[in-house]
Amino acid sequence: MNKGMVFGGRAACFLPIILVLCLTRNSNILPVAEAIWLTIPSSGTKCVSEEIQSNVVVLGDYYVIDENNPDHIPTISARVTSPFGNNLHHNENATHGQFAFTTSESGNYLACFWKDGSHQKDSELTLGVDWKTGIAAKDWESVAKKEKIEGVELVLRRLQGIVETICGNLIYLRDREADMREVSEATNARVAWFSIMSLGVCIAVSVLQIWYLKRYFVKKKLI
Amino acid sequence: MEKRWGKKWALICLFLFNWARKVSSLSVTVSDMECVYEYVLYEGDTISGNFVVVDHDIFWSSDHPGIDFTVTSPGGNTVHSLKGTSGDKFEFKAPRSGMYKFCFHNPYSTPETIAFYIHVGHIPTDHDLAKDEHLNPINVKIAELREALESVTAEQKYLKARDTRHRHKVNETEIQ
Repeated sequence: MNKGMVFGGRAACFLPIILVLCLTRNSNILPVAEAIWLTIPSSGTKCVSEEIQSNVVVLGDYYVIDENNPDHIPTISARVTSPFGNNLHHNENATHGQFAFTTSESGNYLACFWKDGSHQKDSELTLGVDWKTGIAAKDWESVAKKEKIEGVELVLRRLQGIVETICGNLIYLRDREADMREVSEATNARVAWFSIMSLGVCIAVSVLQIWYLKRYFVKKKLI
Repeated sequence: MEKRWGKKWALICLFLFNWARKVSSLSVTVSDMECVYEYVLYEGDTISGNFVVVDHDIFWSSDHPGIDFTVTSPGGNTVHSLKGTSGDKFEFKAPRSGMYKFCFHNPYSTPETIAFYIHVGHIPTDHDLAKDEHLNPINVKIAELREALESVTAEQKYLKARDTRHRHKVNETEIQ
């Protein structure tokens, strides 16, 4: 990024422009590579998903990358759905887009992309997807402006946020493990009861058979 | 006055530079071969991550042979490869900057969902320190701290994905 900086009144006016370009999400102007790239097949959809807890901020940004013909960029359609099937974001015939939402239920959130019908060539499309959840989606610039902190203090504040997220994740993992352990123990108890019951049924049936056969043979005067 | 103002810009830009960390944690369904690309800005950056196969169709299948995972450098060489695993962690130093390709290959035709997490971490070296006089050693230590915290987060994501996988198995074998 902009590591080599020139200090001087004239050059300093370029810095805000560069900062604004870095901060905006329109990465086509200044391709800051923060995202992963996916290839969209010529037919069919490409979906990415993540299992997210409730009450988490999700920020997404996607843009088509096509170096072959920059003046005729192919368009894609996108859809983001919640685990209950609600449509959170829908976009057609676009080369880039963004979405932001706060999760209301925990589950699998799905973002699907597919090529538009107007560009049915056999070529594959490259799509850059920038998917941020939780602490990575937090708007640190507004925090810096509101609390008037900057530099090292702001970086350390971000690290503190990350540590708090780690603590939250630990508690979440522990709770999920506790749930799973309860299910496992219930399954274990049921399997034990089931096997004892089937063994008891086998023994009872065999005792009944012996008793019936003995009675039968005694009645027929064979014993 | 101008130098102080410049220093402030330097720190803010450094913060933004720190902000441009590449992390991605997603799940993708692999039928045959799926590739994810990630750009590495600096040579020598540590690329770390993990992936877990969250089984799609476990009830009738015997043990799946596993997923093959390969990382290809921008030059076309295979930098890292894992064969027949159901999930693993990886870490390596990027030999050069550029676009790296992370591919998952599924030898069976049943689609499998893979939850992966890729992180590209950069720690300013002495060379960077020498080039920019406003970058003092505390930024190196902060970057190291940041990378350590990211490794903890990566481990947590791995544990969460494995927990999801085990949860599917447990719920499948649950007797109602």
